[in-house]
Amino acid sequence: MTEAMFPLVEALQRKFGCQVQSMHAGREDEIYLVARDPDVRAIAEYLTDECDARLVTVFAEDRRSAEGVFFNYYVFERRGDTQYLMVRVPAPEGGLEFTSLSAKLPAVNWQEREIQDWFGLKAIGHPNPRKVALHDNWPDVHPLCKDFPIDTVLPPFEGERHLYRPALGEGVFQVPVGPVHAGIIEPGHFSFAVAGEPILYLQLRMFYTHKGTEKLFEKLPIHRAVFLAESISGDSSFSHGAAFCQAIERAARIEVPLTALVMRTILLELERICNHVGDIGAIANDVGFVVANAHASRLKETLFELNERLTGNRLLRGMVCPGGVRRIWNDGQLDLLRGTIDAFAVEFRDLIALVHSSESTQDRLERTGILRPEKAKDLGIVGVAGRASGIDLDVRRDHPYAAYRTYSFRVPVYQAGDVWHRMQVRIDEVNESLGIIRTAADHSLRGEFRAPVPAIPPDRCALSAVEGWRGEIIHWIRTGPDNHLERCKIKDPSLNNWPAVVEAVQGNIIADFPVINKSFNLSYSGTDR
Amino acid sequence: MTETLAKSGFQLLLLLLVAPLVSGVIRTLKARLQTRRGPDILQPYRDLVKLLRKGMVIPDTASWIFPAAPYVVFVTAALVGLMTPMTATDAPLSLFGGVLAVVYLLALGRFFLALSGLDTGSSFGGLGSSREMTISAIAEPAMMLAIFAVALGANSTNLSEMARSAVSQSWRFLAPSQMLAFAALFIVVIAETGRIPVDNPATHLELTMIHEAMILEYSGPYLALIEWGASIKQLVLMTLLVNTFFPFGLSSGWSVSELGAGLFFYLLKLLLLSCCIVLVETTNAKMRLFRVPELLAVAFILGALALISTFLF
Repeated sequence: MTEAMFPLVEALQRKFGCQVQSMHAGREDEIYLVARDPDVRAIAEYLTDECDARLVTVFAEDRRSAEGVFFNYYVFERRGDTQYLMVRVPAPEGGLEFTSLSAKLPAVNWQEREIQDWFGLKAIGHPNPRKVALHDNWPDVHPLCKDFPIDTVLPPFEGERHLYRPALGEGVFQVPVGPVHAGIIEPGHFSFAVAGEPILYLQLRMFYTHKGTEKLFEKLPIHRAVFLAESISGDSSFSHGAAFCQAIERAARIEVPLTALVMRTILLELERICNHVGDIGAIANDVGFVVANAHASRLKETLFELNERLTGNRLLRGMVCPGGVRRIWNDGQLDLLRGTIDAFAVEFRDLIALVHSSESTQDRLERTGILRPEKAKDLGIVGVAGRASGIDLDVRRDHPYAAYRTYSFRVPVYQAGDVWHRMQVRIDEVNESLGIIRTAADHSLRGEFRAPVPAIPPDRCALSAVEGWRGEIIHWIRTGPDNHLERCKIKDPSLNNWPAVVEAVQGNIIADFPVINKSFNLSYSGTDR
Repeated sequence: MTETLAKSGFQLLLLLLVAPLVSGVIRTLKARLQTRRGPDILQPYRDLVKLLRKGMVIPDTASWIFPAAPYVVFVTAALVGLMTPMTATDAPLSLFGGVLAVVYLLALGRFFLALSGLDTGSSFGGLGSSREMTISAIAEPAMMLAIFAVALGANSTNLSEMARSAVSQSWRFLAPSQMLAFAALFIVVIAETGRIPVDNPATHLELTMIHEAMILEYSGPYLALIEWGASIKQLVLMTLLVNTFFPFGLSSGWSVSELGAGLFFYLLKLLLLSCCIVLVETTNAKMRLFRVPELLAVAFILGALALISTFLF
């Protein structure tokens, strides 16, 4: 434990009688405290209001066989500390409920409802305790409980339609969109209440692509689970894969060779640039400025081709593995990387000049889909969307991983929170990423690139965070017997940010929804898992 | 009588055949400017053939308006086409009121299209119809004013008469009334044909559509009729624009050699106008929906100024 967190932990021990618990955590940057359920609300309020900490995620674990009870985990972090504070709370007497924080911290609204659906624990005091992850008429069984075998086939149950809150009032109409959309995007249902063109409010229904990923992790041996991690969200394959491997490495207590860390950093930044360029084009496309999209797509393709030459996969899959990376680059590949990045930088500057020169595009994007900083803070928005609304968070800087400690980069933060500034954050980040890659590619990438990973003893816990291109990705694991996982919790930034879309579209006209949605570009698969 | 029939037949054939071609040319030119290869020029014909051979899905909630609207759209567009001088100064058909009939026949088609959008009860159709009506409420008077500015110069609202007077006079495009009227009509054409910055004909985003949203429920031959009708309407509006303001090459008779020369100049003018439209579409983003009336208000004011300046100069 470093000095900075010490007073905080001490205060929690004094005020709430929390106990520090050794959890066989591999590293010093996770502190586990045990607290009692009735105190949770006070602890959360104390940490967020007085200590300026942030509740990162909430998740549950079925520990009934080992410790006789369900546990909830509340992960906190605060600016300036590289550590994560994990408050571990056993379910109170009766064992099937927990205290909800959603009324105070709307950021955990969906995550608490997931716990309800997946573990059968009731969130006491939740303002909207309806099902979020499972079908509305799902029977009273809970898939992430240990007594739910993964091959269970449920008897067919009558489908009951999800009830949206009705939109009432003269001239108010309900416009349902989805779950199947035009174009190549994933399913999600949007129910707009509109008065003419302006949107009164938007209701979302996600989880159409729920695949039981967290449960699947418990069935796979660790070396194969990496591939599952890579498929959590297709456009963030490398980020999720790297986050998972970091967690495994921490649990195994192995050091990853520097060469591998630098290569991971380069690949993480390549993934960020690819997606940001694609998004900049897509935003321009949604306001009908097609030329910019044509150039952005062309640039993205050059990077996809580079990806393939570097890793054998356009989406960077199959490269990361526990202990490092699978392959090392030869000089030809490194030259290709440097050459492509230099050529890209020049073309990217032209693309941005083109976008900035189009006044009609700027007119469409400025002051469209505003997410106010105070709302963003309440909703716990992370990543690109957060930084465009004054939320100064970046895991790369706040909790350095891979080789980020060695590079200096700027984290762009804007206060305006409109579509234009979400695009501007992306533009700035691409430029920073290009700088990181240039510096990193000058390392001599030789020698050891994959440390051997021994079988990991059971009951080791590890938390891992990665700044994916969308934002903060969290993986938390507990190892089980036979080199399998006992639990793997995944939090994709999309899960935090969907409520931001709801907030940002209010008061805008319905014709602007597609571009607002695109400026967030959230993953359905990552949300639904 | 036979002569009128022959002329009508020729012009109808021209309308039906050239209209998809113009759409195809615009699409291909756009693709080239966007560094894409794009579909080839004949693609709209293939689309029409494909749609005509397909079956149809008709919503249960649809009334008689739904099947009637495609015919109304198609027939009004074709009728207007027959009243417009294309290759020769004499249009084969001349109805009461001349340009007035043109404007209101187009309005009739649009009215039925908007009704059919509402008819099925789908929320997108309703959105599209309400948007279309908002836009046309301003586009229509702007178009009237611009055309009247020209009609005043020719002392007639008959389109053939207007064309004849345009050909016989020396070209006076640089007169303020002509330029203003041209600018107004150009904006109206962009709006009426559903092009950027008003509407995006290539989008797949239902929520942003105008014209496409109204016809979302149509399929098969009905969709073919509507698409064909829409491209004829586009051709007619473009024809009005080029032949009223640039009457070069309009033949005064219907002999074969005159027709050939007329056709050549006509296609050339259409190609040039297509290039202008493509440039506007490529260099602009789509406007925010609520700003579109402002653009059309500009067209309206230009039309009004054109009308006033015919009395001044």
